[in-house]
Amino acid sequence: MSSTPLNTAQPASGNAAAVENAPPTGEGLWASVWKQFKRKPVALAGFYLVCFLAFMAVFGDFLANDKPYYLSYKGKSYFPVFRGYLVDARLAQWPAELLNVEYKKLDGATAIFPPIPYRPTNIDLFAPYETPSKDHWFGTDKLGRDIMAGMIHGARISLSIGFVAVGIAVVIGVILGAIAGYFGSWVDLVISRLFEVMLAIPTFFLLITVAAIFPPSIFLTMAIIGSTSWVGIARFTRNEFLRIRNLDYVTSAIALGVPDRTVMFKHILPNALAPVIVSVVLGIAGAILVESALSFLGIGVPAELVTWGSILHEASGATFAWWLAVFPGAAIFITVLSYYLVGEGLREVLDPRLRGLR
Amino acid sequence: MASYALKRLLLMIPTFIGVTLIGFLIMRLAPGDPAELRAAGGLGGASGAGVSLEKRGAVDEAVAQWRAQYGLDRPVQVQYALWLKNLFTLNFGESFKDNQSVWNKIVERVPVTVKLNLLSLMVVYLVAIPLGMYSATHPNSLGDQVTTLAAFVLFAVPLVWAATMAIVFICGGDFYYLFPPAGLASLDYAEDWPLWRKFKDQAWHVFLPVLLMSYDGFAGLSRYMRASMLEVLSQDFVQVARAKGLEERLVIFKHVLRNSLIPQVTMLASILPGLLGGSVIIETIFSIPGLGQLGYESVLARDYPTVMALFTVSAVLTLIGILISDLLLSVVDPRIAFGRRLQ
Amino acid sequence: MSPASWKAALCLLLLVGCRSGQETETESRGSSSVVSRPDAGKPATGDWLISHSLSDPEQLNPLTSNDASASELLQYIFQSLLTRDPRSLELKPLIAVARPAISVDRRRYTFTIRRDAHFQDGTPLSGEDVLFSIKAIKCPLVNAPFLRVYFDSVVDARLLDEFTIQFSIKEPYFLNESVLGGIDVLPRHYYDPGNLLKDVTLADLRKPADQLSAAIKKFADDFNKNFSRNPMGSGPYKFQSWKTGREIELMRDEKYWGYGKAGVDQPYLDRYKYRIINNLDAALVTLKSGGLDEMNLNPVQHKRGTGSERFKSEFQKYDYFAPNFSYIGWNNEHPIFRDKRVRKAMTYFTNRKQMVRTILFGLGEVVEGPIYFFRPEYDKSLRSYDYDPKKGLELLQQAGWSDSDGDGILDNVVDGRKVPFRFEIKVNAGNTTRKSVALVLQDELKKHGIAATVRELDWTIFLADVKVRKFDAILLGWAMSVNEPDAYQVWHSSQAANKGSNHISFKNARADRILEQYRREFDERKRIELYREFQQILSDEQPYTFLFVGKSVSAVQRRIRGVEVLPGGLRSIDWWVPPPAQKYGQRLTAN
Repeated sequence: MSSTPLNTAQPASGNAAAVENAPPTGEGLWASVWKQFKRKPVALAGFYLVCFLAFMAVFGDFLANDKPYYLSYKGKSYFPVFRGYLVDARLAQWPAELLNVEYKKLDGATAIFPPIPYRPTNIDLFAPYETPSKDHWFGTDKLGRDIMAGMIHGARISLSIGFVAVGIAVVIGVILGAIAGYFGSWVDLVISRLFEVMLAIPTFFLLITVAAIFPPSIFLTMAIIGSTSWVGIARFTRNEFLRIRNLDYVTSAIALGVPDRTVMFKHILPNALAPVIVSVVLGIAGAILVESALSFLGIGVPAELVTWGSILHEASGATFAWWLAVFPGAAIFITVLSYYLVGEGLREVLDPRLRGLR
Repeated sequence: MASYALKRLLLMIPTFIGVTLIGFLIMRLAPGDPAELRAAGGLGGASGAGVSLEKRGAVDEAVAQWRAQYGLDRPVQVQYALWLKNLFTLNFGESFKDNQSVWNKIVERVPVTVKLNLLSLMVVYLVAIPLGMYSATHPNSLGDQVTTLAAFVLFAVPLVWAATMAIVFICGGDFYYLFPPAGLASLDYAEDWPLWRKFKDQAWHVFLPVLLMSYDGFAGLSRYMRASMLEVLSQDFVQVARAKGLEERLVIFKHVLRNSLIPQVTMLASILPGLLGGSVIIETIFSIPGLGQLGYESVLARDYPTVMALFTVSAVLTLIGILISDLLLSVVDPRIAFGRRLQ
Repeated sequence: MSPASWKAALCLLLLVGCRSGQETETESRGSSSVVSRPDAGKPATGDWLISHSLSDPEQLNPLTSNDASASELLQYIFQSLLTRDPRSLELKPLIAVARPAISVDRRRYTFTIRRDAHFQDGTPLSGEDVLFSIKAIKCPLVNAPFLRVYFDSVVDARLLDEFTIQFSIKEPYFLNESVLGGIDVLPRHYYDPGNLLKDVTLADLRKPADQLSAAIKKFADDFNKNFSRNPMGSGPYKFQSWKTGREIELMRDEKYWGYGKAGVDQPYLDRYKYRIINNLDAALVTLKSGGLDEMNLNPVQHKRGTGSERFKSEFQKYDYFAPNFSYIGWNNEHPIFRDKRVRKAMTYFTNRKQMVRTILFGLGEVVEGPIYFFRPEYDKSLRSYDYDPKKGLELLQQAGWSDSDGDGILDNVVDGRKVPFRFEIKVNAGNTTRKSVALVLQDELKKHGIAATVRELDWTIFLADVKVRKFDAILLGWAMSVNEPDAYQVWHSSQAANKGSNHISFKNARADRILEQYRREFDERKRIELYREFQQILSDEQPYTFLFVGKSVSAVQRRIRGVEVLPGGLRSIDWWVPPPAQKYGQRLTAN
């Protein structure tokens, strides 16, 4: 039985009494959260892992690229990696002598290549299914594409899917949950029915349906993961709003005639965010898991893209190539683990803060 | 109580319509035409040699005829209404793929999926509850820390990875052959085998799929159990019981356990909807003929009636699950008031 | 030869492989693992053959079923008027006494039916059954659109006497004999118990759907619905059982009419069982542990999973060509691909030999034309476009392509506008070979300043786009049969419009004339000459980049004898097991 963490995460909210004593917004809360967080070694380790993955995602092009950082050729110096960015942004052109040249095969040139001198899409028809070796640290796949490059660039894809999908889920979930919790009565009833409908839909099945039928694209994947996983966030938000709505400072703001929208988003929401934050972190992990499942089934990933899940998909068809199974799976595992550790750490930190000190 | 149940049932109707409508719209509005797919010879041409040269051009009439036969040429609302009407007689129509009654196809596979899920459920509860209990009664001990770490690790292991690693390393292939890579029974499985042999064979086949389906439950449920028990343990009545001089074991098993199990019981009901989606990956990897595999194949084959039927079945199961869960909760914990809004 | 065995030769599922009784020359081009010599020793009956099927057939109605799994089975249950000699590929009589008498104007074919054939339930076979079969095919309400189109030019069929039937054809066409000879003979008393079609003529069946009589409607309805799982014909094997998702079983008919008759294939194996295992790795494990006697291996299994000494001692592998080919189709109306120099350059950029080695694991051969290369019509002297990117670049330069703006992508002036060399290759989901080819091509083209994108689409959407010509380039394949080719459907300019099979809009006047002439040519040698010229035109124009013909590999348990690689593949009807080696004995009765 697989359940996404979003739906089974416990609400972090506790006794109402303790919250009243917490500051309504502000730096004070988050700075002390960070201080407490730092005291948990496991969670901190997770956080550093997350940073490392983010680094790989952002700087992937510098870690694995078929163009060198620096090239000295026929007396002139070039910086192909950087120029490549500029050309793609249409801000520059390739000098004639560098047009579509094979850097590795230039005679009489000295070049400094990135640590992994391949892009994940570089095909080498003469080196399929290579076992891990000094040329290809993690081996190659059926078309000779370097797996390590695939790992590094795959981080970018997985993380962006995670962030965007959860971003969509947060926006939908918070807004709906806030409205439901704030207004109560029939609004709540209707929106709660909507929650039920979303819960009753077999999500994974729906994902497969949409991803398999519509032309594959990363954005579609992000969108559908996001639009099917907002219910947990919505529920927490709704519960928090229901609770905070009745606190004195809110009722007085309403009595003073502050407009609903301001009350909701300026007064209540910042205090209601704690469980949402935890859900976001866990949700990113969940979205990465779902995406890997989809690309493992061979759907939702455009043909030219190499993702962690698509390499696993190949692995199941070529079981002798164990490196295709071990590395991408480990990457997903480490990513998800680090997000879980951070999420759990945050939850523990935020929980007692809200319940008062135990 | 009865009136509450009735009220909830009535409220479920719009939810039900909502779910089935969404499913219906997605299938219908999606590109790709089941009539064309049939004309092209099914999915075989996709993975195989290509389009058959034997197929001549003018099959448009046949395609149109086929569409008319299945009512696909009527407007969407009419199709939906017709489908709803048929629902009342449990007539889910015939599969586009092989003209079999959809109901029969589903019913054929239900035992398989249910068996797997029940086994998985049992295994999870049998393992997770005691683990959670131990963790809660010995908080921060070495055992607790180890189980906590193990829980995280297990939770983070992606199912696709674990399953692929299993297939690569221990299911025949280049490394070891400890478990069969597919199916629920050996191919020469016969009904007239001795009971013990049948049991062994089935257990051998079912072990890996069930284990893979359960491991994240170990993690999740044991953590949940631990948290819930810790909460109960910190409550006053436990202190009172201890003060009364009750033996610790009695305290735990008689008072604490019952109260901590409440949320687990309600979680049970949320398992029902997982019957469908949760096993798609396992069933696909291990070629197990269950509902998940049926769903996946039907989607690929644009088999509308089957997909809709599965959607509906899943929706019904979920709604029943939610209802049971809420009812159980209100029975077991009368402090929770339903229907009363916060003033 | 029956449409059922045609369909078998269609090989829609490459992995199921082709089993049919058609062939071409006896030239066998197998590799070292091929054994082509039939075994000495006298064939004996007995034992079972347990084969593998990836999935259940959709259904077993001989007319309405449309998938290769079904054809594989139905070919043993049903028979047709004519069949093909497995080695020479010539038409031979089976249910007919001899090849038909053809009228001088080639419009009437008269078949005499043998009197000693009967169906599996004992009922004698007569002309009435053949007449019924053609009526069932032509009935527009029967769900057999693709089959029916074959018989469009059959305008009438009548019984001259109880055992003689005459067909009238609209236009002379050299393939008519094999089309008519390929009608599966269905037992009338079984498939139309109420004799609803008794007085219906073929002319009646041409009326529009709403004017058809109630009897016809009822017949079609019953026929479509009631016969999915219970085929019955006159062939050597009876349908025994079908456990969905598990196995299908056929049993040798002890009372088969063909025993001992000259010119009729003799069956030996007592039972054919098809175990349905939809996971190839599981199937291989089952094969190795004795649960299967033969299976088709996929390329990875062939190269890596079946090389152990133990495996070799138990199984013999046979590889054989399947009559299909893959290609890259360039939209000949696209501004970039209108110029044949560009298309030729594309072919030079495609390293087909290495693709066969890497992507197909060596299981294939590069082809230069659309004819199955075992056929005499295939022109072996066609020039081969070996991988040569320099030549490709030269051709592009000649055509006016260069990078005038330094952005790394070639451009040219077409129709007065500057056009960068960007295009999209469409592939269908579910085919890793074609997807790999597209990716390799994309990577290669990038090195030369051509920006190709690869778009993977669901099969139905893909087909829909191909039909309306909404593509720049596609990767697709054609599954043919071993029979005489007829390239009209794919290459004639009239088929480029109206969603015909000329997807890429190839329009060449000389080719058109050759194709038209070919159809009316009844002399095989003249036909071969015509097609030589046709293939030269295609080679020069390169409307497709022809890729390769695929090979299938089967592993067969060594106890089975009589296994021979024929031009059409393997034929299990010839197989037998010597009694001492029989694994399942002589258990003919079901248990």
